Amino acid sequence: MSEIETLAILEELSSLVSDRLQVVSYKWLSRNFLVSSNAAKKLLQEFVEKNKNDFEAVYTIAGWLKKTPPTYHIRLVPQPKLAEAKHDFDGNCSVQVYSVQACIPKDPAAIWNAEYIQAEELFKQPIAVDNCLRDNRFCGVSNSLVKRNAEGAPVAITVPQAKGIGNPGQALGSSVKQTGSVLQPQPKKSEDASPKLALQRSSVTTPKTETDRSGTCDIMQIKAPDKDKTSLPVKKKGQSDKTSAGSKTSLTNLWGRASSKSKSTNSSVEEKCVASKTNGVSVSADAQITACELSEAASSDDNEADVNFKRASNDGGKKRRVVFDDSDEEDYETAVNLGSPDVPNAKLSQDSKFKSGTLDIENKKLNFDKQDDCKPIVKEETVIDDANPYAKEEFSALYMCKNVRVATSEKIHERTPDVDTSSKKKATEAAPSSPKRRKVLKTRIDERGREVTEVVWEGEEVDTKDTNPIKSVSESVKSSNVQAKKVEESGPVNRSSTTKKSPAVGSTAAGKAGGKKGTNSKDPKQGNILSFFKRV
Amino acid sequence: MLELRLVQGSLLKKVIESIKDLVNDANFDCSATGFSLQAMDSSHVALVALLLRAEGFEHYRCDRNISMGMNLTNMSKMLKCSGNDDIITIKADDGSDTVTFMFESPNQDKIADFEMKLMDIDSEHLGIPEAEYHAIVRMPSAEFARICKDLSSIGDTVVISVTKEGVKFSTRGDIGAANIVCRQNTTVDKPEEATVIEMNEPVNLTFALRYMNSFTKATPLSNTVTLSLSSELPVVVEYKIAEMGYIRFYLAPKIEEDENE
Repeated sequence: MSEIETLAILEELSSLVSDRLQVVSYKWLSRNFLVSSNAAKKLLQEFVEKNKNDFEAVYTIAGWLKKTPPTYHIRLVPQPKLAEAKHDFDGNCSVQVYSVQACIPKDPAAIWNAEYIQAEELFKQPIAVDNCLRDNRFCGVSNSLVKRNAEGAPVAITVPQAKGIGNPGQALGSSVKQTGSVLQPQPKKSEDASPKLALQRSSVTTPKTETDRSGTCDIMQIKAPDKDKTSLPVKKKGQSDKTSAGSKTSLTNLWGRASSKSKSTNSSVEEKCVASKTNGVSVSADAQITACELSEAASSDDNEADVNFKRASNDGGKKRRVVFDDSDEEDYETAVNLGSPDVPNAKLSQDSKFKSGTLDIENKKLNFDKQDDCKPIVKEETVIDDANPYAKEEFSALYMCKNVRVATSEKIHERTPDVDTSSKKKATEAAPSSPKRRKVLKTRIDERGREVTEVVWEGEEVDTKDTNPIKSVSESVKSSNVQAKKVEESGPVNRSSTTKKSPAVGSTAAGKAGGKKGTNSKDPKQGNILSFFKRV
Repeated sequence: MLELRLVQGSLLKKVIESIKDLVNDANFDCSATGFSLQAMDSSHVALVALLLRAEGFEHYRCDRNISMGMNLTNMSKMLKCSGNDDIITIKADDGSDTVTFMFESPNQDKIADFEMKLMDIDSEHLGIPEAEYHAIVRMPSAEFARICKDLSSIGDTVVISVTKEGVKFSTRGDIGAANIVCRQNTTVDKPEEATVIEMNEPVNLTFALRYMNSFTKATPLSNTVTLSLSSELPVVVEYKIAEMGYIRFYLAPKIEEDENE
């Protein structure tokens, strides 16, 4: 890193810690300034040396404890206790700055809050966005199985995202490739010249990620040498239990849920939705729509598609419905852009949580993003369902895929979003404009026999009315246009392999009017504060 | 458990008075280090950031980080029930959905408890990057308030331009136009009356006076106000709160179509 860059970061660091009173840990630093975790540690070290008296530092001490049997120990200690803590360790131990802060917080969790929030944010970004957590680029622990994609688009359904600190996907990745996965130690671990290095490595690195996830930042204690092999699978089990409360361990569950936890806005929305659903069949869709609308209010990206998955069991058969909500906001072209583009992913993850949380509920409902448009859409759905008994039958074993046309390309988003699909049944909302591209849900069976549902941009008009349109869809799919991908394991047990091969794709239109008017529409010249500051 | 004892209770009253017109509801975030608030006005044009550091309180106890959603109008109603010399203590229990304001009269002969219901507010926290501003103007806060008030009787917007000569506030309206120029003036008896201009680059920005006027409600908090301006960035209007922190207002500029105006 260049000198100037270092100085700039140090300066910013100082203001973060002193003015905003933030706890800055090396992980946060690494992700925020896109430097490697080792560089981040060095920066913090430098910072602490320069400002020894102004800030408090928390150190990580790692090494073998003196007591027998020797255990490998990683401990966070504040600066004053550093020397004392070193006495507990046998011989050499590594000492690194973990975090700097204005004062040592009373609640140890505060040390970890900032980076947790940050990690959450990163995971909420659209799946197509390759951020530093997804590709693990700054982690000292590397995984040889991880493939990085130059364009940033994730590689279909392999496990490229399944790693990184705090990523539940890691559990999945390592369980899939348990034997093959070789975790390399963080460089700092190798400072220990222990003969048990190899064993120690795996035992150290894996629990560390777990600790990151569970949020305790006190002490990690690992039984080092022999328990190694057993501890690994045990941990995995715990993780998958944690991440997928439902018994279905689909990838969407694993990935989606990580980020949907505890974000205030989303969680409140979810609560509402779930509550309204559990109320039973009679609940009107409005509650859900309102709830979804709330979360949607934050979204600004014209091109995002919100995918609401809802699974409901019907007479023993599984039914899944996929709704694509096109959250095109026409009025954003006057208002200055409202926010960060990572909302769609948040929505996705929210929805996937949603789905797993409502597995048992009998009535099927659709979630829409727009209050204004909800009623017409509901009607459309009904029409489709009734008029298309064939498709309905298929539902019991198949996904129903609905696609929505997005209003042309990004450049003409000021036009009223077009809701026309080629299915003639719903004339209600069909707008006459002629989009060239749209998002389409594509379902296919991957090489592992799982059903993969993905959202892709489709180039030209495709007649989705076709009862078996999957072929034409796949023909026109441009892989480079993949906006989002959802991977689902085939959930229902009773699904036969033959039905898998011929998924029915229903099509419908989600009507979409611009919805809310720009808040500052009264004065088009007035800038918006959100165009200057990003949400954190 | 949260317990914040503020001897100078009137300060809190002034803070709330200064932001309640701008923001209806806001989350107050309490951490071990301080009491802070960040909120946008409903039209997302202005943002207010408040910080009261823990050191400024006579007693500050905040066991865990807590975010309390309050309706500022209601909070203001309650705080108005306190005397100007009263000591205000803010108390909240963990997991409670209320907050208690306790007012003690200076000679301890009257103690009042006001309990206010909290709200769940979905508010987004914005990351405000540290920026180098092209021009920083420090001037008496009363002077700034006067300028904004005067100009708003003529027009709706103010053009603030900072040059080597000084800072110029100008407006134009149906009845005419107005220009007020403040020159740098550091040769005054009291430092708080000085007008100090630090300029790296000239700037010329337009803002809605309505918001500026609303910011000047914070004038009682500080004798001086600092305007930090950069083209392409919101103006920062900062009132320092003595020994405690600050209240900063950010206002997005109006987009000028014709710079020659």
